[in-house]
Amino acid sequence: MSSPCPANGSSTADVGYRRLNKKCVLSMYIGHAISYAVLLAGYLLVGLYAQGFLGPYYDPVRYAFLAVLAIVLVYIAAAPPVYYARYRYRIAEDRIDVRYGVLVIRHILVPIERVHQVEVSRGPANSVLGLADVTITTAGGVAALNYLEIAEAEKVADLLNDLIGRLLRDRRPADSPSSRVS
Amino acid sequence: MSGETVRCHPSVIVEKSLPILAVLAALVVQFEKSGVLPALAVLAIGLLLFNYRQWSRTTIRFNETDVVVERDTLFKLKKTLPYAKIASVNVNRGIANRLFGTSRLQININSGSSAMVPEAVLTFKQDMAEEIRAAIAERLSESEAAQEEDAAAEPLATFSPADVVVHGLFSVSTYQTLFGSVFLVYSLLQLYSSAGLAADGRALASLVFFFIVQLGPSVSLIFRYYNYKVYRRGKTIFLQHGLIRTYKTSFDVSRVNAVRVKSTLAARLLHRSWIEVEVVGLSSGGGESLRPVLCLLKDDATQQRLLRELVPEFVYDRSPERQPAGARRMLLIRAATFSLALALAMAYPSLRVYHEAADLAGTAGAVLPWVLPLATLLGALAIFYATHVSCRITEFDTGKDLFAFVNGAVDRETVVMNYDKVQMVRITRGPVAGLFGVARAEVDLLSSTGGASISSGYFSESRLGAIGETVMERIASGEYDWRKNSV
Repeated sequence: MSSPCPANGSSTADVGYRRLNKKCVLSMYIGHAISYAVLLAGYLLVGLYAQGFLGPYYDPVRYAFLAVLAIVLVYIAAAPPVYYARYRYRIAEDRIDVRYGVLVIRHILVPIERVHQVEVSRGPANSVLGLADVTITTAGGVAALNYLEIAEAEKVADLLNDLIGRLLRDRRPADSPSSRVS
Repeated sequence: MSGETVRCHPSVIVEKSLPILAVLAALVVQFEKSGVLPALAVLAIGLLLFNYRQWSRTTIRFNETDVVVERDTLFKLKKTLPYAKIASVNVNRGIANRLFGTSRLQININSGSSAMVPEAVLTFKQDMAEEIRAAIAERLSESEAAQEEDAAAEPLATFSPADVVVHGLFSVSTYQTLFGSVFLVYSLLQLYSSAGLAADGRALASLVFFFIVQLGPSVSLIFRYYNYKVYRRGKTIFLQHGLIRTYKTSFDVSRVNAVRVKSTLAARLLHRSWIEVEVVGLSSGGGESLRPVLCLLKDDATQQRLLRELVPEFVYDRSPERQPAGARRMLLIRAATFSLALALAMAYPSLRVYHEAADLAGTAGAVLPWVLPLATLLGALAIFYATHVSCRITEFDTGKDLFAFVNGAVDRETVVMNYDKVQMVRITRGPVAGLFGVARAEVDLLSSTGGASISSGYFSESRLGAIGETVMERIASGEYDWRKNSV
């Protein structure tokens, strides 16, 4: 289960926030490894076929590509644990609050009132690890809760649907037929 | 609105077939003597028959509470558009419409997901389209005067053809103008240096780029906003403009999510600015710029007067605050980093050009080796100057119902937003910004192009957090009226 934020070491601002399951680190490593393999393939293609095309710029481009590969390697090795450690989310009666980021820290606030659609999705790697993403769509943009456990993702989606449903029921005129159902 | 069933004007068959018929005609010219001509003829006839069937089996019913568009073909369709959900109903006329004496009626509902394409595009005889538009507009605005809007309309300001031309020329972004000018100068130099000889393709290519980058957008703006009129009746704002394609647009002021007062560098030198608004449900589906303009490039006093008269809901006493000292330091570090990156990227090409051009004789040998280093230096200076200007002008302020961001070192923009229209708030803090205790906010709003994300400058995180908190407080306290604002 995704765990509530531990009391120890957490700031008062973290109260009520939940954290991700540690399996998210593995999922991120798998995703990053696939992206890195694509980048590596790009480097090999440049190395093998671009000499004629790039001419005198061949060596500088290759070294620049190598530098990028090294930086990306360091980032993808270090990023998942940091992402896991920083990720916090909270679903209150009136809002969804997400804090995450590795180099750039983001704090997203979505009023429940603005939510139009909630979607639970999972790719092949996440399916194997039992993780899923919840995508929250508003009229003006999209926010996501990533790498939740499947049961937790379903629970979050149900909770959001419930909160939105309650909001809409409260707005229904008192004399409408559906509001008279006991 | 009697519930009578009508069809679109038959010219819609030609209108829909025309683009593909033009492609087929081009193919006919290409394959004049080959055996594909009969196949192309069959395709053309098939297309016309298909569009005829689509037209003959598509009906429109204007009921008391909704519009129903029904198509009884292989791909059946029944679209019900309740008047209560319609955000705008607009009329525009292209060349084909003028030839056939028709108008295109575009109905948009309040949906964010379909904001790019109108829910229904219906072609009718011009007077019938106007009648239907007026009748629907009357229901939308619940205004008794809606039907006589055009006859009784008194525009709030006069926009002469010269104003339209000035708007077309100077509302194009400064960067675009700079790029365009570089292409133009290069092209003129090429033409000058090849005087008396046949000019090579570079002059022509450069001239084409100048047309694409600068002249094209300017001319398109002039055509679009020719004969521009704007006025407000009750809660509805009406726009009318266009030279070749004419536009008649109206929307309820409650559909306005944000107001942008904009000025390019050239516009500021002329003491002029223009007003654009983010409005829900104004798509035309033609891939055009969908942000309605409430005031063309006019002197600042007229622009301010129009702002107060057209959208007083977005005018408030502002007490703007500048970016804190931490932001200035952060921006200077960022400028230094960008300059360093620019210098590193230019080092190798500069050295190569230096060595290759050093052997040249005359002026070329003296000037060319230093062109790239000098350009790099100028680039770095421009980065620092833009940072300095950005520090000076970036503002943020929060009022009771509204808040505003002012941004832009070169092309400036003041965006005033309503808390009740905010869909989502993101506060972002990068590693350097974090060191100086500042962050940026991105506010997501529903716009005429789906969603719009509007960014602030660098301010303290707690200060920016006030936007989201105010949104939540207004919902909790009941100040937020979902009847007016829900989409």
